[in-house]
Amino acid sequence: MNRCTVTTGFFVLGRCGRSAVAACPQCGRPVCGEHAGPNALCPECAAAQGYRTQDPHHPGWTHGYRREYYQGSSQAYNDGYWYSSFDQYDRGAFNPGDDYSYGGDWGPDDDTGFVDS
Amino acid sequence: MKDGAGQHGPMRHRAAYVAFDRFPSSKGSAVHIAQMADELFTRFGGGLLAAIGGGDLPRYQREGTREVARFDAAVPNLIDRAEAFSGWVAAHLRPHWETLEVCHVRDPWSALPAVADGRRHKVVYEVNGLPSIEMSHTWPWAAPAALGKIRELERFCLERSDAVVVPSRVIGEAVRGLGVPDGRIHLVPNGADVVGRPRRPADAPERYLVYVGALQPWQGLDVLMRAFARLADMPGLRLVVCASVPERRAKPVRRLAERIGVAERVDWRFTLPHHEVAAWLAHAEVSVAPLTGCARNLDQGCAPLKVIESMAAGVPVVASDLPAVRELMADGRHGRLVPADRPAELARAVRILLEYPDEAAEMGRRGRAHIEESLTWARSRARLAEVYRTLTRGR
Ligand SMILES: [Zn+2]
Ligand SMILES: [Zn+2]
Repeated sequence: MNRCTVTTGFFVLGRCGRSAVAACPQCGRPVCGEHAGPNALCPECAAAQGYRTQDPHHPGWTHGYRREYYQGSSQAYNDGYWYSSFDQYDRGAFNPGDDYSYGGDWGPDDDTGFVDS
Repeated sequence: MKDGAGQHGPMRHRAAYVAFDRFPSSKGSAVHIAQMADELFTRFGGGLLAAIGGGDLPRYQREGTREVARFDAAVPNLIDRAEAFSGWVAAHLRPHWETLEVCHVRDPWSALPAVADGRRHKVVYEVNGLPSIEMSHTWPWAAPAALGKIRELERFCLERSDAVVVPSRVIGEAVRGLGVPDGRIHLVPNGADVVGRPRRPADAPERYLVYVGALQPWQGLDVLMRAFARLADMPGLRLVVCASVPERRAKPVRRLAERIGVAERVDWRFTLPHHEVAAWLAHAEVSVAPLTGCARNLDQGCAPLKVIESMAAGVPVVASDLPAVRELMADGRHGRLVPADRPAELARAVRILLEYPDEAAEMGRRGRAHIEESLTWARSRARLAEVYRTLTRGR
């Protein structure tokens, strides 16, 4: 029998693992009775809908949201100024570097936070 | 959510915690975020945590009345990424704009959308470091004008925040220096939880020093390696580095270790979960925090969680004598404070602790008691709760 693959936990993440009763119609993952919402939607897809991103696993999602929010951002938080004050030259210094440039080596497993203690 | 509909329909939160940090992760910042966000969500009956994701982390999670949203767009340039993140945060705060009472942020990229005009919520800006100072170290090629703009953003966001939370007095001074009035700055120190002694890691060497944390130059790993070279005569002594960052970040330090002939005596562990790091700490002879005396650590300050967690584990600490470290531990009482950037002095302090194990163990015990008495997460969280209470009084 399929197991529910919903991610659980806050600081330590796990998989639910209960027996699945349905498949999420949006992303297809097996969900248990606890985690199946209306229409068997999984919590991840249900939350995504709350933020108007229909399917978090759709490859077009990132681009879609970027186009929409990146450009709309200045009205959204009244910042017509700050980010636009950064020209290409300013930004150029913040491209990812090689292994020697600490903090500049960026990949999907990297932390982007500033302070590590 | 009263009717239970919130579990499935859109949620409307009263609180949000926003961080330009991966969460969860093996870094100290993740422990801090977990504690602070948990306190916030406890006070406000749930909330939204908006953080960085990627890898295997799901974009969205729901746990009861809590939601986690993770930004995972692959934007390599830092400023482009910060800009995209700010836009994403704005979009994720928008559904809660009418219900939000407190928005707690950790950095300017998160703060900018939170301090927008027309908000009814209060903004708590938690300053663990100042990107304008920090980034001159991480991005040595950044033009002063560019860093100046980042400083402007910092000032703008700090000025518009209702409360500024700092983990150390040194950072509080730096924030004051940026023009934030005294009354708005609140000290909420980092903490640690004192738990039972964890089991010794199966692959732990007989006798070892431990370093815990990231590997940026200001952490002083080079100083530690040079100090360790001076301890070559100590039989069987090894150095265990529990790095909170991926292995490829260790290249420069490893190269140095090889060049000075200590590589054979150093054991590396990468991105271990927090409870495994605690076990490595608990069974070490000494925990070393060799922070350098650079502007990042001196002017901006730092709040090294590793010092607190080492004391909580009952292990004596040898750390650089910096104001931010002095706030946490006392020389000769919980370990030794040595001048920063001086390998010989660092080695000497470690050697003395190794040669007087009874006194070292006593320092470890006193460190543990010190954490229990004054630096638990429970205390820090009570202080944070007080900040929230003050801000939302009369609502
Ligand atoms: Zn789904
Ligand atoms: Zn489940």
